[in-house]
Amino acid sequence: MAWVPCALRPLFLSSISVRIMRMKLLMAVGMTAFVSLAGCKLVKTGNAEGQAPVAGEAGDEARIAALLQETYDAKLVPLLRSKATDLVTLRTELAKSLDEAGKALGVRAGGAGGSWIFPVKASGKIIEENRQSKAGTASVDIDGDGQADATLQLGTVVKGTALRDVAPSVYDFSKFRDQIEFAKLGRALNDKAVSALPAAGSLQGKTVTFVGATSLRSATEKPLIVPVVVEIAP
Amino acid sequence: MRFTKRLFMSAVAISIVGTMSGAALAADTIAIITPSHDNPFFKAEADGAAAKAKELGYESMVLVHNDDANKQNELFDSAIAAGVKAIILDNAGADASVAAVKKAKDKGIPSFLIDREITTAGVAVSQIVSNNYQGAQLGADEFVKLMGEKGNFAELVGKESDTNAGIRSKGYHDVIDQYTDMKMVARQTANWSQTEAFNVMESMLQAHPDIKGVISGNDTMAMGAYAALEAAGRKDVIVVGFDGSNDVRDSIKKGGIKATVLQPAYDQAQLAVTQADKFIKSGKTGVDEKQLMDCVLINADNAAKLETFALK
Repeated sequence: MAWVPCALRPLFLSSISVRIMRMKLLMAVGMTAFVSLAGCKLVKTGNAEGQAPVAGEAGDEARIAALLQETYDAKLVPLLRSKATDLVTLRTELAKSLDEAGKALGVRAGGAGGSWIFPVKASGKIIEENRQSKAGTASVDIDGDGQADATLQLGTVVKGTALRDVAPSVYDFSKFRDQIEFAKLGRALNDKAVSALPAAGSLQGKTVTFVGATSLRSATEKPLIVPVVVEIAP
Repeated sequence: MRFTKRLFMSAVAISIVGTMSGAALAADTIAIITPSHDNPFFKAEADGAAAKAKELGYESMVLVHNDDANKQNELFDSAIAAGVKAIILDNAGADASVAAVKKAKDKGIPSFLIDREITTAGVAVSQIVSNNYQGAQLGADEFVKLMGEKGNFAELVGKESDTNAGIRSKGYHDVIDQYTDMKMVARQTANWSQTEAFNVMESMLQAHPDIKGVISGNDTMAMGAYAALEAAGRKDVIVVGFDGSNDVRDSIKKGGIKATVLQPAYDQAQLAVTQADKFIKSGKTGVDEKQLMDCVLINADNAAKLETFALK
């Protein structure tokens, strides 16, 4: 992946005559290079054509698509796999203290008063796959008592931003233009996650192993998990 | 004309300096500049900031700009002239406020922004804003659930110059538009105003009597809309707001408005003053400029715990 200063991109893209290009180049060299580059941030070249996404909101989609391609399989999924706490263990820790469990096993979202985001994993039996709602879910019984212990979000609508917020080392808010761009990332991550899940209707009654992220505001709520991996046991 | 205006502005500045100088001598002062306190949200911000300032040994200079960038500019001149140590600001426009904040910075006075972002980074020391998008998604999730994932609805949008109006609307639609059976039949601004929302809702009802729900960009507009619905005998319409005001809390408890989203305004303003104090004493806050605070869904389950933009 190359980094191209945005001030130079118009030169590649424009169909203006070579003479004008030369003039611009001369000016850029003649004056200080800093002046001509000031106010421009480095923009990553996004797609196969080698064109960088445009700055500002119009380029969000391309920029986020590129970011996902670069980070989702390479960083986010491995991070979740390596840091995930088994839900049975998490439940024991939560029973002692939400904040202590959060500090040890999670990430604080949205400052004090915000929720804790945990990378989680477990194996269990799907006791109900609900596809009635567009925000589809599967209830999982993990401890074998026939009661649901956690809920997997299956999409197509996915609630929350746990996947984005669980990995501040990969997705750092301060590196984004504003809330909107950051929110678009959250949505893109959710869409990506559910796009890789087993087909609708294939989970009812099955035993599955999953890895994902969940956002908890209290120690007693049933975890609502965005899974990145759901494997059906043979 | 321009000359007269300048003269007037200096006169305003001088008169405020006159009244402030006594206080400034007694203790360091922090200026707290917000939109009009007519909206209890902004009053909660000012109260939260002033309470924390007092706790940390500062005087406070509380000013309102009424969402007028020129007025805000004059208030900055006053605050600068008064020699305040820091400015806590809920700004009057994402673009228009950059110059004022920069002017203070150039005079060595740091600004700490709450609630609304500005479009340039590196000018304010802190920008602590509610995660409006996340909050809007929470509100929209609840709205869709209450609507049974289908039906006609209307949207009331906030003031266009305020970035949060657009952010919330986008957050709402990000969720709602995924449900193809949800149909938006009307969308209009009511400029955050209760009376305007009342009028807008009245005409929306006439044009679309089959409305099943109204999602509003803030609580004051939700109150106005609900009043119009109540007057028309349409208390069945589902209304969801945004902010977490005591008015909407009371309406939720009575089964009127169904839900809102709490922005932690009081805590946010306090946090800004805490960071200002740290910056005044050490030259840094130790945290990033841009900070997001999560919002919380308020419905019948937890409305009783809400008091003055904070959860007990």
